Amino acid sequence: MTETLFLGSGQHEVRELEGALGAELVAVPGGADHALDWSWSGPLESWRASVESGPKVDRVVVAPWGGAPVQAPLVELDLDAWLARSELALARWVAALGVAKVRCADGGAIVAVVDRPAPLDCAGWAPESGIADAVEALVRSLARSEGPRGVRVNAVTTPARLARRPVVDPPPPLASFPGTVGHDVLGAVRLLLSPDAAGLTGTVLHADGGRSW
Amino acid sequence: MATDPKVVLVTGASGGVGRGIAIACGQAGWTVWIAARREAQAAEVAAEVDAVGGSGRAIVCDVADVASVAQAVAAVVECDGRLDGVVHNATSGLSPRPTDLADVAFADVGDHVAVSLRGTYLLAVTAHPHLRATGGAYVVLTSEAGFEGKSRLPIYAAVKGAQRGVARSLAREWGPDGIRVNCIAPLASTPAMEQAFAHDPAMSARVLGRNPSGRLGDAVDDIGPVVRFLLSDDAAYVNGLTLMADGGACPIT
Repeated sequence: MTETLFLGSGQHEVRELEGALGAELVAVPGGADHALDWSWSGPLESWRASVESGPKVDRVVVAPWGGAPVQAPLVELDLDAWLARSELALARWVAALGVAKVRCADGGAIVAVVDRPAPLDCAGWAPESGIADAVEALVRSLARSEGPRGVRVNAVTTPARLARRPVVDPPPPLASFPGTVGHDVLGAVRLLLSPDAAGLTGTVLHADGGRSW
Repeated sequence: MATDPKVVLVTGASGGVGRGIAIACGQAGWTVWIAARREAQAAEVAAEVDAVGGSGRAIVCDVADVASVAQAVAAVVECDGRLDGVVHNATSGLSPRPTDLADVAFADVGDHVAVSLRGTYLLAVTAHPHLRATGGAYVVLTSEAGFEGKSRLPIYAAVKGAQRGVARSLAREWGPDGIRVNCIAPLASTPAMEQAFAHDPAMSARVLGRNPSGRLGDAVDDIGPVVRFLLSDDAAYVNGLTLMADGGACPIT
């Protein structure tokens, strides 16, 4: 049995995380066409059905990240940018977490890793703030539905790709803000996948140097 | 009661919570635009707003459609000369239908997203200049589901969470413009809630069993006034908040 399945993308931060975890990477499809009618979602739905038929695994990490977004006020985002950063992004999360639900064995663990600007720094990141909260809700939905079979479902958030200097005062408690995927996020993911986190489900760890409280 | 006169637009106001919001705003003497896809029902609610002392106006609006949202906002400004508040209440008709994340049809996901999330975006970008002109307010209807998830309604939970996140960013982006952005997470007796109970017979016990108030809220008397507060000058210093109007049911906020 493959122990860790990684539902991710070709983004280098994702590859770094996948490599450190020794996981098997399966890329969640993207898409260049973002029509309003969601006609682009057919291949994503087919991908989900195909990957769901694979073998069960003990651990699943989910991080279907797109390219690093550009900070911009919502009113300056045109419809195409909105569709790509919000609707397509959410569709990829829905597909990936659906696969995670099916592929994770009884007693296993699922961890979602999502970009999230800290609330103090979230101006200009409306789509990403929305996706982060959507993933939190999806994770908790799965924690509820899969808990009876012993599956734990948690999330790690990171501002690593979104933080810009200078930050809004006051400064973050840890000078290491915004943290790195290869160290800060990796540590949180390892914790949540491990037996040390046996009592944690539906939890969201903000790997952001204390910026979110 | 806040009595400062306002011109507000409420989406999905042809029934349920949206109707309650519209009537509560009408009780303050406000002009309330009932924006909904169902023209006849919207007109009925507009008449109810008139009956309680406000001015009700019905307009057909599909919040997922760029042109439709633009037309609705333009109609408000053309007719009344201003726009003080927007309430995005409309939600997908699929909201109460149970789904499984592993096999939910993406056409259904798209419907949830288009109404709740795209609607939030379209109303924001369209209404922004008018709300800036009046120092207005934008209120987005989210749900406890957006905080804590729902095992049988994961897509509904996801879009409700997403709306809260978008609103959080908007509050910071629009604060310098004098516009406030808040959310409300209501728990009310509505046709959608009744449908959800019908789909899941155990849901009623789950929903009411943890509610210290022991009842569902009333859309007109319990939820509408809370939204009216967020729209009013009484809430001039309230920004970036998700206000729970759920009788104390949701354990996290």
